Amino acid sequence: MPISRRQVLAGSAVSAAALASGFPAPAIAQNEPIKIGYLPALTGPSSSTGVGINRGVQLGIEEINNSGGVNGRKLELISRDTQSDPTKAVNAVAELTQRAKVSMIFGPVNSGEALAATPLIARDKVPMMHPCWVDELIDVKKYPMAYRIAPTNTQVGAGANYYVVDVLKLKKVAVISDTTGYGTASVNTYVPMLKTKGAEVVYQNHIDAANPDLKPEMLRMQAAGAQAIMPWSVNAGFLSRICNTRGAMGWDVPIVGQTTLGSGQTKALLEKPEYWNKVYSNNFRQVCYANGKLPARAQEFVERLKKSKIEMGDTLLWWIALGWDSAQMMANVFKAAGTKNDDIVAYMNKVKDWPGVYGTVTWTPEQHNGFPDSEVVMCEVNSLKDGAFNLAPGYSA
Amino acid sequence: MTDAASPITTAKAPAGLLGRLEGSWSWIALGLVGLLLPLLDDSYFGVIAQRAYIYWILSAGLNLVVGYAGQIAIGWVAMLTLGAYTTAALAAGRVGGVEWHPYLALIAGGAMGAVFGVIVGLPALRLRTFYFAMTTLGFATIVTQVALAWKDVTGGGVGTPGPVFPWPFEPGWGFYYFCFILAALATWITANIGSSRYGRALVAIRDAEVAAEASGIAKPKLLILVFLLAGGLGGIAGGLFSSLQSYITPDAFTFEMSVLFFIGILIGGRGSILGPLLGTIILTVLPEFAAPLVQWSTFLYAALLLVIVLVIPGGIADLLDYKNRRPLEQHREIVPRPELLSRVLDANGEPSAIRLTGIALHFGGVRAIDGLDLEIRSGEVHGLIGPNGSGKTTTLNVISGYYRPNTGTMKLNSADLPFDKPHARAHYRIARTFQTPRLVGAASVLENVMIGGTVRGHGTFAESMLSLPRHHRDEKQLKDAAMQALATVGLESLANARADRLQHSELRFMEIARGLMLRPAFLLLDEPAAGLSAEEIRRLGALIKAISREGTGVLLVEHHADLIFDICDRVTVLNLGKVLAAGTPAEIRSHREVVSAYLGA
Amino acid sequence: MFVSIVSYGLAVGAVYALIGITYNVMFSASRVFSFTAGMLGMLGGVLGALFINKMGMNAVLAFMLVLACGAAMGIVTEILTVRPVLKSIEQHLYVLSTLAFALMIQQVTAIEYNTEPQPFPVLFPIDPNSWLGIVDQKFWLPVLACIVTILGLEFLYRRTLIGRAFLAIAEDSYAARALGLPETRLRMASYAIAGVIGALAGFTGAQMLLAFIGNQAILNFYGFVPVALGGMGSNRGAVIGGIALGLFQQAANFLVGGIFASVAVFAVFIVVLLLRPEGLAGAATARRV
Repeated sequence: MPISRRQVLAGSAVSAAALASGFPAPAIAQNEPIKIGYLPALTGPSSSTGVGINRGVQLGIEEINNSGGVNGRKLELISRDTQSDPTKAVNAVAELTQRAKVSMIFGPVNSGEALAATPLIARDKVPMMHPCWVDELIDVKKYPMAYRIAPTNTQVGAGANYYVVDVLKLKKVAVISDTTGYGTASVNTYVPMLKTKGAEVVYQNHIDAANPDLKPEMLRMQAAGAQAIMPWSVNAGFLSRICNTRGAMGWDVPIVGQTTLGSGQTKALLEKPEYWNKVYSNNFRQVCYANGKLPARAQEFVERLKKSKIEMGDTLLWWIALGWDSAQMMANVFKAAGTKNDDIVAYMNKVKDWPGVYGTVTWTPEQHNGFPDSEVVMCEVNSLKDGAFNLAPGYSA
Repeated sequence: MTDAASPITTAKAPAGLLGRLEGSWSWIALGLVGLLLPLLDDSYFGVIAQRAYIYWILSAGLNLVVGYAGQIAIGWVAMLTLGAYTTAALAAGRVGGVEWHPYLALIAGGAMGAVFGVIVGLPALRLRTFYFAMTTLGFATIVTQVALAWKDVTGGGVGTPGPVFPWPFEPGWGFYYFCFILAALATWITANIGSSRYGRALVAIRDAEVAAEASGIAKPKLLILVFLLAGGLGGIAGGLFSSLQSYITPDAFTFEMSVLFFIGILIGGRGSILGPLLGTIILTVLPEFAAPLVQWSTFLYAALLLVIVLVIPGGIADLLDYKNRRPLEQHREIVPRPELLSRVLDANGEPSAIRLTGIALHFGGVRAIDGLDLEIRSGEVHGLIGPNGSGKTTTLNVISGYYRPNTGTMKLNSADLPFDKPHARAHYRIARTFQTPRLVGAASVLENVMIGGTVRGHGTFAESMLSLPRHHRDEKQLKDAAMQALATVGLESLANARADRLQHSELRFMEIARGLMLRPAFLLLDEPAAGLSAEEIRRLGALIKAISREGTGVLLVEHHADLIFDICDRVTVLNLGKVLAAGTPAEIRSHREVVSAYLGA
Repeated sequence: MFVSIVSYGLAVGAVYALIGITYNVMFSASRVFSFTAGMLGMLGGVLGALFINKMGMNAVLAFMLVLACGAAMGIVTEILTVRPVLKSIEQHLYVLSTLAFALMIQQVTAIEYNTEPQPFPVLFPIDPNSWLGIVDQKFWLPVLACIVTILGLEFLYRRTLIGRAFLAIAEDSYAARALGLPETRLRMASYAIAGVIGALAGFTGAQMLLAFIGNQAILNFYGFVPVALGGMGSNRGAVIGGIALGLFQQAANFLVGGIFASVAVFAVFIVVLLLRPEGLAGAATARRV
């Protein structure tokens, strides 16, 4: 259960009194819950990622508390729906760090709000863990207490680029995005990376996602001789139009790009099911089927989800896994290092090969991006089953 | 006018719509809360308060545009965007490789906002309301698109860090006080404008544009100044916003935010400063303490807006305006005091005349005026009568510049009186009234009359903004003159009442008082006796006659034949746009055609 | 490429034209521009998808129901947001009341339906290989709807008594009232008709534009451009303006692409309005005294 604001406000008087008298006495600390600030985007546009991650976070916290908590203390999730709005995120950060005095913050999910929240959280010296991919969020000098439990945009782009250039052996590529911050930033980062890999970017553009007809763009790509289309967008309508237009044109090129290509939303908008063939989206090795089987950790996790009756059909396995992993990681950190920020940082700097369901995490004092390059892969979107996919052809199992 | 000791002019300062300080205690209370909030030492409150201050700095300016001038600028968030990116990009050294000092960058952000405030505002001078609303919306979209595309300067989708202001306004309570001081400054400046002749002129443009023009208010010039100020404040707010947010990306500047500013002002009430301030604070703070409603917040704002528009168009300000709920005296009488006219009018004017020769005006195939000659001489009352549709009011509108005739000449003495340009008439001291009284209903009677004297002020917009001596001198002079004019027409006891509470007959006299504010050489009256009782008509006649005896030329368009024949020196009878007869009342009375066609036997 | 510009440009232009006509029908009856025009278009698509996809309704029944909802929405707009502010029309409060109402409906749709674009079903099961399937129905449906609307309105205004009453109101509401015409009822009927046309635009355009709340803002703006260009109240102007806008937009998409296409449309809109505030085809309006 997410904690409501009313409860937080009621509880804050007690904790403020405790903090006013210096560090809480150990006896009190024994019983007091450990507060975790949580900034999901649960409503509003682009909330499907947040909703998916939230299922994992809630399940993880519940499991930990049901089994007695951390060192006898419960975890208390103080969550605040940011609606992907940076201004709401900034307000929420002030509340979580100043008012609720949380020990750690998880989130926000979307780029604009994460970029605004991170410097403020760093200013208040609260450790934080990012599910967001934007590269700029991690900087050990500016934000020494920020860690990422997910891949970076660069890693994600590199994974897709690797697949197009090294696995599919295609050299002429069209790179496009919608006009959102995420989309434009992605294209601007990935195009030079493709060029360094020796690929030729024959077409690149930012397209207004509201534009219902993509045929002009696609014809221009075709005329430029593109052998693969790499779209970067979280807009299912936009991505489905790319698939539909490709199908209607009878143009047989692979589409390789953002994970939303494989979402149920995109699928629902396809004019024909076969338009989803030869579409490959980002995914993560630990949560993909290889030869019909999930890796052991993921298999066990899926069974756990089924047992807890967590819905998987309308979301993605890796979102839930990311949320669940994050809850486990935080519990792990509190268990080993307590709740003081310096202790937390000292411990997190030494996490090595932590076996998450979503990914294997390693942090060092110099590198707070914890996700391994090797686990960023592509998957076949038309194999979607219970939120998970088959590895794309060409990867070794 | 030198007789400042006259008992009339010492009437107490009005507390109507415009000059409304809305109870200075509420300002003091708000200021104290703002000053003392840091004592709570709760940074969360601090952040929310900073946000409210920043939004208010923008809304204070926008309030002059929306609340005062009535221009529906829905997309004003564009100014916030521009100011934020300018300040952030300059401070980060993204332009020209030089890192600007954050305070200088903030000033540049304000300047950028001011420039674009005018650019976005310009269409308002030519376009009708809904069109203008659409263009501001479109502009806000374009600004965001440019912010996304212009990666070198704005950082594109990844955005750019906002500046950190150094001592004395460093992050935390230092920055809090910075926002507080600037918000207080914005309040003071806009309140000064609001209670000046410029503020009254803006409201007149909003509610009675035609009367504003007739009073010589030049809408384009005034609106440009207001857009400049509102844009500048929006830009400053943007610079502060970029620092509060610590990092700005295009997705922070949403349409919902623009709607929030806009609705905050309207909830507060048009033509008020305190109301919109409270509205902005409420809309900023409310979602923080109603978390379960966050998802529904836009819906609730919109619903609130609808309720406000339909039920209490005056907003919070109207609810606070308890003074105007006191009942007015029931059986009031208008007793003009023509003997005061010598103080109101300039008696030393040279005799002059307006001459119309061969004026013709066609609307499509209809000949509204068909070759008209007319002369209005100073010191005389010239009656213009005729059946409905004979071209009386049209003639008046030609003289006052609302219609451009197809042919003919119009001269003031020997110089051409230009066609069109109604707002230029005030400089020739040609005043007029309207068939349906044009007034600012929410303003006091005194303020309505003061609008008539707008062109008589000397202080500049900037002087009023900063409340400099010339502004005070103007205000005092205008107020004294307006009280004199009101006393002359017999309405001084109603000076502080809201104009929309007056009876119809009182409004007619109020319009004459407004016209007198120009110390008119010529006064054009459009059916001033319509709806008046016989006794009121008699008093009106005496007043008009006395005005002409002070040297003013009066053109009287009227249906009441008795009034015309009583007070006119000369009468022109129109029929189907042509002069049927012209001469002294006695000549007209015996004119056979007139008698049979119009006066009836 | 040329075929694509024309087929798509005509189709989307027809949707813009229909929204433009929606603006016009409301304007003629009340001298009011309403922000609900785009909302009606959005609802046409969303309700269609809701009825057919989610509730499994028959397409014809769903179509009729969508139009009925449009009419109801039009009537509500008139009663709730237009009639109360008509007496003080020079204060332009209708801009605010209709904006507020449109935002409320949009927000309810976002929360109760979906914030992401949803699929809209193919209405006619036509074999794409038959001669009927040469041009996709998502292209010809809106054009057909536009033609039917124009013919229908033309018939209504020229051939029926009630239509002439509409024209009389549009021409001079005082005179019409003096003649004893029931102005309020006629205005309500006009808003209902506008509701039907707006919903029709949304419904027939939804295979192309999808069922998406974001369409509200897009249609509000792009549907208004033809009105602004063609002169307010002129349906002929709206159709020509709408088609021209659709073709221009699509050509701009081909030639410059990306966000510059939308910037180009906006720039043309502003420049034309500043040069000719009354629109390319409109006449200067009468004075206000």
